[in-house]
This record gives sequence, structure tokens and C-alpha cells, in this order.
Amino acid sequence: MSKSKDQAAPPLVSSGPGPRAGFGGQGRGGPVVKPKNFKATLQRLWQYFGKERKILTLILLFIVLDSVLMLSAPYLLGKSIDAMSLTRGTVDFGLLELTVFALLVAYLTDAVLTFLQGWLMAGVSQRIVKNLRRALFAKLQKLPVAFFDTRTHGELMSRLSNDIDNVSNTISQSTTQLMSGVIVILGTLVMMIVLSPILTLASLVTIPLVFLLTRTIARKTSVLFKNQQIQLGKLNGHIEETITGLHVVKAFNHEEKVIEQFDLVNSKLSEIGVKAQIWSGFLMPIMNVINNIGFTVVAVVGAMLAIKSLVTIGVIASFLSYSRQFVRPLNDLANIFNVLQSGVAGAERVFEILDEQEEPTDPPGAIELTQPKGHVVFEDVRFGYRPDVSIFENVSFESEQGSSTALVGPTGAGKTTIVNLLTRFYDVTGGTIYLDGRDIRDYTRDSLRRSFGIVLQDTYLFSGTIKENIKYGNPEATDAEVEAAAAMANADVFIKRLPKQYDTLLSENGSNLSQGQRQLLAIARVILAKPALLILDEATSSIDTRTELHIQEALLQIMKGRTSFIIAHRLNTIRDADTIMVVDQGQIVEQGSHDDLIELQGRYHSMFVNQFKNLEGANE
Amino acid sequence: MNFLKPYIKKYAKPFSVGVLFLTFEAICDLMQPTIMSKIIDIGVANQDLNYVFKMGGLMLLITAFGALSASVRNVVASNVSQNFGMGLRSDLFRKIQSLSARNLDKFDSASLITRLTNDVTQVQVFTNGLMRIFVKAPLLCLGGLIMATRLNSQLAVVLAIVVPIVALLIVINMRVGFPFFKKVQKALDRVNGVMREYLSGVRVVKAFNRFDYEVNKFNGANEEFQSTSIAATRVMAVFSPAIMLTVNIGIVVVLWVGGVRVSEGHMQVGHIIAFTNYMTQILFSLMLISMVFNMFVRARASAARIGEVFAEENQMTWSDQLPATTTRGRIDFEQVCFSYDGEPVLKNITLTCLPGETVGIIGSTGSGKSSMVSLLPRFYDVNSGSIQVDGVNIQHLDPKKLREKIAIVPQKTTLFTGSILENIKWGNENATQAEIERAAQMAQAHDFIANTPDGYHTRLGQGGVNLSGGQKQRVSIARALVRNPEILILDDSTSAVDVATEARIKEALKTYARGLTCLLIAQRITSVIDADKIVVLDQGEIVGTGTHEELMKTCDVYQQIFQSQVGKEVQADV
Repeated sequence: MSKSKDQAAPPLVSSGPGPRAGFGGQGRGGPVVKPKNFKATLQRLWQYFGKERKILTLILLFIVLDSVLMLSAPYLLGKSIDAMSLTRGTVDFGLLELTVFALLVAYLTDAVLTFLQGWLMAGVSQRIVKNLRRALFAKLQKLPVAFFDTRTHGELMSRLSNDIDNVSNTISQSTTQLMSGVIVILGTLVMMIVLSPILTLASLVTIPLVFLLTRTIARKTSVLFKNQQIQLGKLNGHIEETITGLHVVKAFNHEEKVIEQFDLVNSKLSEIGVKAQIWSGFLMPIMNVINNIGFTVVAVVGAMLAIKSLVTIGVIASFLSYSRQFVRPLNDLANIFNVLQSGVAGAERVFEILDEQEEPTDPPGAIELTQPKGHVVFEDVRFGYRPDVSIFENVSFESEQGSSTALVGPTGAGKTTIVNLLTRFYDVTGGTIYLDGRDIRDYTRDSLRRSFGIVLQDTYLFSGTIKENIKYGNPEATDAEVEAAAAMANADVFIKRLPKQYDTLLSENGSNLSQGQRQLLAIARVILAKPALLILDEATSSIDTRTELHIQEALLQIMKGRTSFIIAHRLNTIRDADTIMVVDQGQIVEQGSHDDLIELQGRYHSMFVNQFKNLEGANE
Repeated sequence: MNFLKPYIKKYAKPFSVGVLFLTFEAICDLMQPTIMSKIIDIGVANQDLNYVFKMGGLMLLITAFGALSASVRNVVASNVSQNFGMGLRSDLFRKIQSLSARNLDKFDSASLITRLTNDVTQVQVFTNGLMRIFVKAPLLCLGGLIMATRLNSQLAVVLAIVVPIVALLIVINMRVGFPFFKKVQKALDRVNGVMREYLSGVRVVKAFNRFDYEVNKFNGANEEFQSTSIAATRVMAVFSPAIMLTVNIGIVVVLWVGGVRVSEGHMQVGHIIAFTNYMTQILFSLMLISMVFNMFVRARASAARIGEVFAEENQMTWSDQLPATTTRGRIDFEQVCFSYDGEPVLKNITLTCLPGETVGIIGSTGSGKSSMVSLLPRFYDVNSGSIQVDGVNIQHLDPKKLREKIAIVPQKTTLFTGSILENIKWGNENATQAEIERAAQMAQAHDFIANTPDGYHTRLGQGGVNLSGGQKQRVSIARALVRNPEILILDDSTSAVDVATEARIKEALKTYARGLTCLLIAQRITSVIDADKIVVLDQGEIVGTGTHEELMKTCDVYQQIFQSQVGKEVQADV
């Protein structure tokens, strides 16, 4: 991305936007991720330019103007040299005055135009990227939970930040550079031909050499840089793993082995790094030689022509400037093309998300669930997260309004899946779930989900104040209502001890609170949302039992009069449930009240005995 | 930055060689405009083709020599910087591995990772830059000034005005730009923050239907980021044209003054061309110097962060002699006090675990259970009191030797990229397949492993992402069991395993744990109820020791925990 400035300065000319703060440590010739469909993606990106297209046209106009000015600069320089005779003492001041004045105007206009370009382009690229980011985030709202479940946050974040950054860079840098590069090259060529066709021919001698060289080296380095990136990824993965798991490394005395592995990857990385760097570093010096060959050829031919009085000295001077000017953008163009490619590849990855299948919209005539009662029926429900692996086969049960249903069973038995289906995070693949006598797919998703209050094992709090977090489910709630909900959840005790009380700012994911305190806030949040149905998914499993006692009181409070589903693996939390269902391998294997199931002497009984026999025995 | 000394010593010679060739390169660059001007002034002006050929050849020769120097410098610089980076990274990694947990607590793991990756790269890039352009830029600047002045001292007056202005512009540019880019970074962090929060809380957002709220929050951050970055880019857009304009005006002045001088017969036309060439070269090197400075600031910050890690010293000591021990698996805590940073976590802990005993440790979150067991393998050393294993104070034991006797199943399961087999083998590299399977069977992991298509060769992603929480815990238990330790520490390591499976693991352990001292941290009383001894911790103190029956009679805290777990019915019976 950054172009190297490791070369002799261009003579006599101001190049369009001036040397950029590009420092070629790593970026130069870095690996280029190629887009799969360059043209289509580019066309699609163009759609996002929308209103900006007008401004972009204006910028293009400025660039053309600016390029013309910059093309005339060497010509004017040559003219002013011509104004001075080589034999001392005679200077045509009239011509010199004219050319110097023209140059001054050209340079001034160039500065203004360059500034305007930068000024306008900043707006254009940032606005486009903003819209892209906004579209992406809006899209995320419409994607089903399955989308988030199947991707890591790291992967998504990289698309949302790195890829969009890439797009932004491409728009702001490559477009202007590309446009001015092409214009300068073409214009220079025209000027050179106008000045002297013979010299033009002479200066073009080196062009094939330049092409050949850049291509060979670029090919070599792109493979190396790609490899380097792969090794770097491996090394970073290794580092991340061994540093986050340092306790385990130490506990098992694995320091040496980990270091050994590290050194292996590390030395491989440096081996490739040396090669990549050497190869890419060769480009500039060799290019310099080629440029100077070109210069000499032009000087020699020029001198020969001058001897025959076919050209003036001034023409040679301007010509030499032009030939330099001609080669430089050629080098840059190769670079720009790389940036463009990775930018388009980034856009492509962004578009991939924009093309993801959305959560289907509610069918026309979907019913707004206004006053849910909470009568739930599962009828022959079948479901699998993947079409080939079925989690549920013909699951049927009924939960009366206001009743509590507990789901128990081994890990992976499908307890949480029932919750996912109830809230339509996922849809059933067969059978029907009824709420208040209607297929839940008849309701609008919004109103269906609003009727559920969910407390998850992993409480999720947002950065913001405690009050904002409690109000998350019911933004219109008054402060009094917030405090009442907190009191009901037993959360007011600790909140009142905080210096800023309800206005205490939580850091990301509430890490400044204990697990138990966070859970109490999550419960207060659900209480305030006043749902008709309640789902407690391992709500207390990561809390120690004494804290749990606190929370359980709160939970019992809110379960009153609400249809509740409780998932737990600690059996004492669910003994009071109206119905207990034992789920195993996608089947309900036992169903009944605690006493029923104990009497049954089946799975529940043995689970219960496992957990409680000692306690009760000890108690007797 | 003392840690850099050995590297400076090691790479001083090749570095100097690199800089030497860089100097050659710069000199060649500097000579080119002079020769070009001579070609025009003498060769072309006098229409002396021979001279043009001669000087053209000379110029090519110099360029070729410059290119050769550049290539040598390139090879040297690449080797030095990459090897330096590799060495630094490796040494830093070793250092981190050698530090104690107490040292490492000063850094969180994310920051250690950044130091190992970004910061090392930053320093490496800077070193490479030093040998590529950083030294060259001042050389070119200085050389350009000297050559230009030598060429024509009157025209050099123009330089005396232009160069300070450009330098000033660059300084202002950096002064103005830096706070702007800080602001942009902050705004970007916020955009990413909102995004990350949304991703982790997506279920909650969906459950509460707060899409509009999230979108508004995001749009706010997005809008702010856009306006700050536009402002920053726009401010910066002034400087580049301004610098170019200054230099270009300088060139115009040179032309005019030069014209006057030529008319007076004091100057040759070719000088003017050469002079303007030098001017652009000087400008160019000034820009480079400003970049060097930016890079230096960043590299220095990175080096400082690396230096912080190197400055840590592992305070743990031990004697190399290994005293003979008679028992196998006896643990004595004697009046152990411990704190992480001032606030006492453990107070006067005295406890003896006999060989073969299973000791349950129970207490609420924050009572010091995990801290207590992390003292045993010397992750941390006690502040006062002592811990003895098999009668030897562990302060005198090499942590490595000590840890060979101990196997831990940590609370937070950590698995590594590789196959399940490799992960279990972490516990004992020489374990046979049969031993591994036996351990997996005891940990109730064999069945699910055998059910995967690749069995024990199933590859785990980073952190074992493709296993469920309970499965990971069971692999982690198998890893500890295969070690065949004297002391086994289970730190609440069955929390994600369901009751029935946990019971089977406990059953297997009972058979296996014969002769093995087992420390069992648990939340549930049922997990420790049949331990030989239960220790109740409360706020860093032992408030009860004994069997379940004894504790039910004597220990209030234990009774509270018991009641909270049994539920109302039993409570009513009490």
C-alpha cells in the first residue's frame, strides 16, 4: 500500500499529490488477496457511490486539470532554460519573465487543486464507507441467530473493521492515484512525442525492461509475502494459545516444548521474511539503474540531435523531466493495482455478509401477539441444526398457562434447543409449536419474542449505566419502576452500596461486577420487561450456591403467574416445578412432577439419588 | 532499554556494514544530478558527443555501483532486521515462559500477546528502516545542501529560506495531526466497541427486540467516526500541497535569479537544472526525516513495552539438591498467608493432607479456594508460613521438579490446537495408547472421542472450539490423569458436566485415586461429600475441617451452604 520513496528524487517536477507518508517497511508488495469476481464487485461498490458520483466527477475534473498543469511544468521549465543562451551573457528576459510567471501560476493552481482534491475526497470516501458500515450493521440486525452461532466474533469483526478499512483506503487513495497516474502517463507520452518523436523513441527503450523487471519481482514476492502471512498467522495463533494457557503450560512443565514449537515457526517466519524482504528490496536499486540508462540514452541521442540542431537544449531538459515523469507513475500503477485488488476483495467479503440469507420476514397477515396468556404446546416437533443431524424427533408436550416446566438431562441432550425453538431463534423443521392455540409462526417475531423473558447462564450486560441496562427490555420505564424491579430481583442491596448507585457505569460486559451481581441485574431487566413467559437457561449455574439462594428467591418471585421454562443441571433448583421433563438424545424420556418421577424410579430418580442420597442420608 | 544492549552488540558489525553501503548508495545518488548537469552544460552545450558518452558511461557506472551498494545493503538489512526480530521475539517468549504467575499478573494476556506480536514487529520494522532510509534521509539532506551550496552559493540563499519553511510545515503537520489521529482512533474504537458488544449480546438484543436502539447507537458512533476522520484528513490535506508549493516557488525563484546570474555571466545554465534537482532531493529527504521521527516515536513506545517484560525478574529461588523423601503425596500447609497485591487472600491456613487422602475444599466465590491450590505447584509463593510436600518445603524445590508430582485440572479448561491424542499426551509424553485410553475412560471422555469420525486423532481448533464445554472438561481431566501424579488437583472441573457423568467420573477416580492425594475444589456439596476430609473456606480462612457429618454439626458456614443447595423440602426436615 505504501509506496517506497527509496529512490532518487524526481527532478524539477511536482508530482500531483506530493510524496505520501508511505513508509515501506511491511506494506510494500504485501500479499494481495485477490477478489473472486473483480468486475462484479467493483460495479456493486459503484452503487454505493450514489450521490457522491457528482463530487467524484468534480474531483476527476480537478485531477485532469492538475495533471495538465503538471505536464506543462517541465515544458515551461525547458522554455525558461531556452530563454538563457548557453553562451554566457545573453538571456531573453521577456521569455524568462513569461515562463517564470506561467510556472508560478501553474504551481499555485496545482497547490489549490491538490488541496481541493484531498478535501473533497476525504468526504467522499468517508461517507461511502460510513454508508457501507451502516448497511452492514443494519444487515446484522436481520440475520438469524444461526449466522452468529456459526462464525467467530474475530472473523466478523475483521470484516467489519479491516475489510471496510481496506475499502476506504482503496476509494480515497487508489482512485485518485489511478486517475492521475493514467492521465500523467498519457499526457507525458503526448508531450514527449510533440517535443521530439525521435527522443521519445529513445526514452521508450527502457520501458519493456521496467515491465519485465516489475513483473518478475512482483511474482516472486507475492508468493513469498503470502507465505510470510501464513507463517505469521501460525505464529500468532501459537502465541495466543500458549500465553492465554500459560498456567496449563507451566502446570504440565511444557515450557520447553512450547518454546521449541515457537522457535520452529519463528525461524521459518524469519527465513521467509528475509527472502521476501530481499526480493522486494531489489526492485528500487535496479529500477534506478534502468532509469539512468534511459537518462543517458536520451542525453546521448539528445546531444546528437542538438549537434545537428534538430532540438534545442531546453527541449532536452524538458524531455529528461518528462521521461522521469513517465516511469514513476508506471511503478506506482502496479502498486495501486494491488491496493485496488485487496480493497475490492475486502468489499467482496463485506458484500458476502450483505448477501446472507436474512431471517425471513413475517408473512403477510402475521398476528401481533398483544396479550399472551402463556399456554404452550409442542406437537411432534422435529428439529436439527444441520439437515443431516436431527436433534429432536417427534417431541410433544403441553405447558399450561402459569405453570412451570423444568428440563433436565445430560449435556447436549437438547434442552437449550427447546428454548431456541420457542423464541424462534431457530424454526422447527417439522411439527408445530403452539402458543395460546396458534402456531407461533403465525405471530410476528417481534411480538412473540417480546412475550418471553430470558435469563441466560451468560448474562449479557451492555456498556452503559446500571439503569440503562435494567431498562434495556423496557425503555419507557420510570425510575421508580426500575428501582422496584431491582428490589424484586434482590439487586437493590448491592446497587445502593455503589457510589453512583443506579448511574454506575458498567464497563464492557459488566466486568466490574461479580458474576452474581450481573445475574441479578439480568433478572431485574427481565422483571421490568414484564414478559408473559419466562425462560431460565442455566440461570444460576455459574454462581456459587450461597449467592444462588439470593437469586432463587428473586426467580421464584417472577415465576409467579408466568408460564416458565427452567433449564438446570442442579436438581435442587427445579424440584418445585409443576412438570419436570427428562430430555435425552432429543427425546423426552420422562415427564411428571418431582414426586411422580421419584416414584417412577427411572432416570430422574437415579439422577436425583446420585445428587441427593448422601445429603438426605446424612440428614436423617 | 537495557534489554537492547546484547542485540546492539550482536548486530553492531553487520549493522555498520549495512549503514556503510547505505552511505555509498547515498553518495551515488548525490553525484547523479551533478553529472547530469555536466552532460548538458558541457556535452550537449558544446555538442561534444564524446563527452556525453564519457559522462553518460560514468553516470551509469556510478548508478550501477549505487545499485550494487543498495543490493548489498538490502541483503544485510533484511538479514539483520529479520534475525533481530526473530531473536527478540524468541527471547521475549522464553522470558515470559520463565516468569512466575506473580510477574505475569502485572500484564493481562492480551497485552502480552500484543507485545510479542505487534511491538516486536514495530521494533523490527524500525531497525530495517534504519538501514534502508532512515540513515539515508539525513545523509541525502545534508549532502544535497552541501552539493547545492558548492554548486552555487548565491542560489543557496533560496535554500536557506525554503528549507526552514518546509521543516516548520512538517513540524506543524505532526503537531496538528497527532491529536487528530488520536481522536480518530478513539472514534474507531467506539465503532468497534458497539459492534463487538452487539455480536456478543445478539441473543439479548433479539430477545428484547432492541434493534432500533442498537442501530441508533451504532449510527451515532459511525457518524462521529466519519466526521472526525473527515476533519482529520481535511486538515492534513493542507500540508502536502503547501510543502510542494513552497519548494516549487523556490524553484521559480532559482530560475529567475539564475536567469539574472546567467545574463551577468556568473553562472551556467546546467547549474540551474542541477540546483533544482538538489532542491527536490532535499525536500524529499526532509519528508523522509519526518517519517523517521514518527516511526521512532512508535518504535520507542513498543520497545518500552517490551522492556517492561524483560525488566521482570522471577523471584522464585530453589536449591538444586533434591532432598530424599520417604512419603508420596503428603501435603502440609503451615500458617500460610498469601496476597496478590496487599489485600490478604489467605490467612493462616494450616492443613495436612495425608498420602492417598481425598480432601474437598468448599466455599463461596472469592473465598480463596483457587488461590490455595495455586500455591501448591508454586504458581505463587506464600507471603508467610510454609507449604511442604512430602516433608520438603516447596520453596526449596525447583518448580519443574515439583510440578512433575502434581496434575491440575484447572477451572477454565484450556486445550491446544492439535489432536485430542496430543492434548491428552500433554500430561505425559511417553504415555502409550492404552494408557491414554484408560485415562480417557476414567474421565468419561473415551465414548464421545470414539464416536467422532477420527477418534483420538480428531483435530481441535484453537482453544478446542469444536468441543462442548463438558467435553473439553473431560479431555482436560484425562490429560491430568494420564500424568500419573502423586497429587491431583481438581479445581471445580466438572461444572459443565452433568450430574450423572460427574458421578461416573467420581466413581472411576475413587478406584484410581487409591494412593493418590486428591484436592477437590467444588461448589456443590455432593461433589465433596464422600471426601476423607472437607475444608470449608470463608474469606480466606479455614472455618471448618472434618467429614460431612462433623461439619454439619460444627460449622455454620457449611450448614448454610448445605441448606442453600438442598432446597426447601430438606430444609424443612432439618
